[in-house]
Amino acid sequence: METAELKLQVKQQIIKFLNLTTVKPEDIKDDEPLFGEGLGLDSIDSIELIVLLSREYGINIQDPKEGRKILTDINTMVAYIEKNRTK
Amino acid sequence: MVYFHESVCISPQKSFPDMDLSEVRESENNLLDVIEPNYPGIPAGAKRRMGKSVRMAVGAALPLLEKYPLPDGIIIATANGGMEDCIKFLNQILEYKEGLLTPANFVQSTSNAAAGQIAMVTKNHQYNTTHVHRGLAFENALMDVVMLIEENKDAGYLLGSTDEISPYNYNIDRLAGWYANEYIANRNLYHSKAKGTIAGEGTFMVWVNGEAQGASARLVAIKTLHGEDVSSLQETLKRFLSENISSGQMPDILITGENGDERQQPYFDAVESTMDARVTVARFKHLSGEYCTASSFALWLSIQIIQSGTLPAVLIKKRGSSNASRQILIYNNYRGLQHSFMLVSAP
Repeated sequence: METAELKLQVKQQIIKFLNLTTVKPEDIKDDEPLFGEGLGLDSIDSIELIVLLSREYGINIQDPKEGRKILTDINTMVAYIEKNRTK
Repeated sequence: MVYFHESVCISPQKSFPDMDLSEVRESENNLLDVIEPNYPGIPAGAKRRMGKSVRMAVGAALPLLEKYPLPDGIIIATANGGMEDCIKFLNQILEYKEGLLTPANFVQSTSNAAAGQIAMVTKNHQYNTTHVHRGLAFENALMDVVMLIEENKDAGYLLGSTDEISPYNYNIDRLAGWYANEYIANRNLYHSKAKGTIAGEGTFMVWVNGEAQGASARLVAIKTLHGEDVSSLQETLKRFLSENISSGQMPDILITGENGDERQQPYFDAVESTMDARVTVARFKHLSGEYCTASSFALWLSIQIIQSGTLPAVLIKKRGSSNASRQILIYNNYRGLQHSFMLVSAP
């Protein structure tokens, strides 16, 4: 899968998992922070995203510090998925 | 004395922010789902996680708590809580073999999520309780408030109810025979002669305290009864009336939870036959559908009727000789087993 295609898929999955009913994939910029500013996600959302990575890509994040770096923005998430996905 | 002040209702009909029953909204596929407002007061981050019943409850509570910001307690009735989130969570457990589960569906599915969310959004740390006694959940919540006000004369409480239609649970109840298999339009509900009824949902919130000043209505008495015996029901009603209404008097209006299910009709007939020709008989399930806390919709209607002095024509089954609308008896039963009487009067 091409990176651009994977980015779109991840955005769609984030919208679905977090029930962001008013957000469209094109509203999420690749380099925009997912937490705090930008999408304004919080700690419960981070658990939802970790579950998303496990269910959809077979990636299990054990270290919370590592999780924070991976979930910085769409670019960091997709780069990690491309490198570590098992499905 | 327990007095009802301002109230808010989100229902399948036009009830929020004000009641307008000039047109009856029709049911679809034996379901009467609520007309949801936009809930501008609920923070966006919280709203997207909320299931319908929680969203309705918080959305109805916030306008009241703007006016009464410091309740001494939040008392909510819900038989099923966030049923749809509960089903989603159970399905996740199966799908992912009890493995990695997300927290939101679980958090929102618990029965006390509505009362908890209202408290969190308004930063209220007072008494917070949820009553879950199926078809008597709302009546038990109301009795809780009655006892609280007896102990704390100057206190004020947010009392409410919320229940949602979950498609999955609706199908289970339909297969069990509680909802009709054949199509029934709500306008024909009482002529259906079917086994089963139509499903509904809704939220009701009211500010309750012991002050008559500014009140919309007063709770005279409440009585609940478990059982299937029609004669026991009738005896209980006669005793209830003799204890709470002057000898020889009757309430002006009887509002019943008649729901078109022929199996439950004997209970409604027994209650109706206890009234005399002065009493106007009304019913409401063609507006709300059947759900566990539907009696709270009848209480909301009663408060509106007493306040306005007008009984909407769409509710009337049989007009009595009394034109007054100062005292209303509500009778509801859930599945022919859980019965309640609430007597409400002008303050």
